[in-house]
Amino acid sequence: MRHILFIAALALPQAGLAASGERIQVTGEVIDTWCYFSGVMGPTDAVVGSAHHTCALWCSAGGIPVGLLTEEGTVYMVLKMEADPASAGGDTNLHIASHTITADGMAYERDGLNYLIVETITADQDIVEQTHDDFGVIPGFAIPEEAAQ
Amino acid sequence: MKHLLFAALCSLIAAPLAAQDFSEGSEARSWNLYAEVPARFTATVTDPLCELAGQCTPDCGGGRQQLVLLREADGAMVFPLKNGQPAFTGAAVELAPFCGQTVEVDGLMIDDPEIGAVNVYLVQRIRPEGGEWRRANQWTKDWATRHPEAAGDGPWFRRDPRVLSEIEREGYLGLGAEADAAFIADWF
Repeated sequence: MRHILFIAALALPQAGLAASGERIQVTGEVIDTWCYFSGVMGPTDAVVGSAHHTCALWCSAGGIPVGLLTEEGTVYMVLKMEADPASAGGDTNLHIASHTITADGMAYERDGLNYLIVETITADQDIVEQTHDDFGVIPGFAIPEEAAQ
Repeated sequence: MKHLLFAALCSLIAAPLAAQDFSEGSEARSWNLYAEVPARFTATVTDPLCELAGQCTPDCGGGRQQLVLLREADGAMVFPLKNGQPAFTGAAVELAPFCGQTVEVDGLMIDDPEIGAVNVYLVQRIRPEGGEWRRANQWTKDWATRHPEAAGDGPWFRRDPRVLSEIEREGYLGLGAEADAAFIADWF
């Protein structure tokens, strides 16, 4: 019976348990998580860098969560940037949209998703991925007709 | 026999947790996304900073902080990335009025673990306990209230002063005016 209770306890969902944070330093691109995860604008390599910069501005201003995409492909959902919790207000993350930054902060994992509370941006490499050479702009209407004349 | 009973008990406990289907009763409209799954469920609207790090505010940030849904059926923390408007708009403004409350939501889960998309959601409608369904499409109205100086024709993202300021400063590609000019000359 003791064994059954032990296994039953192991089988209980991880969901609902408080997550414990880990202090990390991580480098990655500040991305628009909706376009990246949903595929609404195309494959993941088309919705990063310069090709997708204007759309990343729109989504960040629109309150869509920004993420930090590491070189290994891990996405951290950013809940705070440099101690500013207004991550859905559109005013916090615009100046670093599509930039590759190095962040120092607290990382959490919950139900398969990674979260990051950025305390300090320790380096900002600006936009590294010049994806417009391959993809143009994503979406195609990112540059309005009058500006493209 | 004891072992068989033991294994059966373990699977009974684990099975509902492994793959729950929340599509029953959903009236979510398809966005024709590769990994979309209709999902209607009951959840508590919560501040993830509070849930994860104990950094709590009384009103969940009043729509300026991201919010999550703690699903009643399995306790999973679901992150709504998107509201129901096809307009580059998030979900926090839609959920903020229900901070700390139990609601029913209907929308699309995006399930693509290969790229890390797990427990992320597009919310299309919300129903508070005992209330009526409301569409999750308030974002643009909220934006118009916050930015009366940007009133005019065309979609909000063409008029948003913060976006326009960034484009003015760094261009559409984010690489400066020179890179924009070269790209436009080459591409259009």
